[in-house]
Amino acid sequence: MNINFKNIMPKPLESIQHSSESIWGREILLEQRKKIMLNASSGKGKSTFTNTIFGLRKDYTGQLLYDNRDTKTFSPEEWISIRKEKISVVFQDLQLFNNLSVKENLQIKNNLCSVYSDSEMKSFLEMLEIDNKWEQKCGLLSMGQQQRVAIVRSLCQPFEWLILDEPFSHLDKENSQRSLKLINERCKQLNAGFVLTTLGDDCDFSYDHELKL
Amino acid sequence: MLSKLLFKNQDKKQLIIAMIGSFMGITFLITSIHYLIKVNEFGEGADILGPNTIIVQKKVTTSSSLNLAKTDFSLQEIELLKKEKFIIDVKPVISNNFDVSFATADPLVPKFSSDVFIQTVDPDFMDVNTSEWKWSRKDTIVPMILPRDFLVMLNTFMSAQGIPQISDELAKDIKFKFRISNETSEKEYIYCKIIGFTNEVASILVPESFMKYGNDKYGNLTEQKITQLMISGTESEFGLVEEMLKERHLESKNSQMVVGRLKSMVGTLILVVLGISIIAVFVSGLVLIQYAQLLMSRNSYEVRTLLRMGYSPKKIINKFFFYFIKIFGWISLIGFGMFFVFKYFLDAMFEEGGLYIGTDMTLFSIYALLFAYLIFGIASFMNAKKGIYKEF
Repeated sequence: MNINFKNIMPKPLESIQHSSESIWGREILLEQRKKIMLNASSGKGKSTFTNTIFGLRKDYTGQLLYDNRDTKTFSPEEWISIRKEKISVVFQDLQLFNNLSVKENLQIKNNLCSVYSDSEMKSFLEMLEIDNKWEQKCGLLSMGQQQRVAIVRSLCQPFEWLILDEPFSHLDKENSQRSLKLINERCKQLNAGFVLTTLGDDCDFSYDHELKL
Repeated sequence: MLSKLLFKNQDKKQLIIAMIGSFMGITFLITSIHYLIKVNEFGEGADILGPNTIIVQKKVTTSSSLNLAKTDFSLQEIELLKKEKFIIDVKPVISNNFDVSFATADPLVPKFSSDVFIQTVDPDFMDVNTSEWKWSRKDTIVPMILPRDFLVMLNTFMSAQGIPQISDELAKDIKFKFRISNETSEKEYIYCKIIGFTNEVASILVPESFMKYGNDKYGNLTEQKITQLMISGTESEFGLVEEMLKERHLESKNSQMVVGRLKSMVGTLILVVLGISIIAVFVSGLVLIQYAQLLMSRNSYEVRTLLRMGYSPKKIINKFFFYFIKIFGWISLIGFGMFFVFKYFLDAMFEEGGLYIGTDMTLFSIYALLFAYLIFGIASFMNAKKGIYKEF
């Protein structure tokens, strides 16, 4: 699925002076299967980008097109289908259920499409060295551990695009590398692309291209 | 897991209060509807006259005895009565304008004969099987309804003759005959048969067609006066009927008035309880709906996140809908059970008080419960739909 930003300008960002490289107010094509890094400093609209692309914000001028279809015309059912099968997101605030265990947080997502077995999900946690937290409530985990759970959760569905909004902000370099490796493998497996928003760190990974805000 | 996520975070105390309110409302609703119907049914079938029906006549005073005041009704007076809001219908009671005598015609029963007075009333006012209550010139037997006092008199005669007394059912099997005649000695014998009894009318009742036949063939030529009227009043407004009778100097048999007054009074009381029950069910339903709103608002983060994860709004709506439908279902079931406990005691109380109302279940109370359940279901669904789509 190609995603086309056609002169999009979020209303809260209208008053800010954007550089000529910024995606805001320009036509940008996110080609399918590409690995994109979105690099910007704080307050430039990284989360706005994530929320806009995921259909959570509609307060913008211009057009957001999925395979040449304007997303403003999508029905709630179409958005649900897109969120279930086409686009997966790791939000900056993670959006985990603190009262549920790590296992339940993963299962609640995985149950929608039954992608993995419990043991497979546990093996992902093992790769990120948090498999011992399987039964623990998410609210009791550190931010870094929660980030890793959110990353694994985002992989428990089919997708064509994975949007990661500062997913490694609380992770050390090693854990960031491990997570990125896992993400890359899953994207390869699904033939999907991803957009990683960062504050400038490229995490030693080679991207197809870089976007700026 | 969705249930665990959505319903764990709730204030159980508030839910229990809402449930108790609904339970009480439902119990009173079923109970009051049941007894409202039962009290209205009270007295039906005990007599051939329909419910809330009375026979009225003008009060006989000294001046009317001296022919100074009229005791018959004019057509204008009947029309005026019909115009009253609480009166459903008014019809004259027609009497015989020819000579009638009534005699036994059965070899097993001793000979008994007496001059009698017969009357006919509109079948709409009567609670009889219409297939039995008809007569045509080809028919050899005239169906009749006997005043119960007449049977008592007949039994007294039987007893004096040393013959066993007869029951209502046996009396219906005995053959009788009418002799109808006029002043010119023309006469005719027609067999007749008892099909029912009445406590309310003092004369023998016959079908209208037979009365017309007798009056046409044997009646004297003087104009027939209407001295009695059948009146049927609306439910629960018997007080107004009674007031109108007083105003117009009319009177009715006391027992008819007592039953009417009693039914009207108890019916009004139960209507008040029913009104309160409907308000209680409505308010408690509203409290439950409000509780559902509170629960959705407490779980707005969970709902929003589920929608972002790809959960269908319909699935989440159904979770809330079925949760509250299940709660209301349990409340209704327990309320229904409690109604039977109340019914057990109330039936005994009514019986002790001499009010022999039917003890079988009324379908209307079940329909009312189903209706309340349906309304709650619809309101609950609409509420859940609005709450969930708000988070989308």
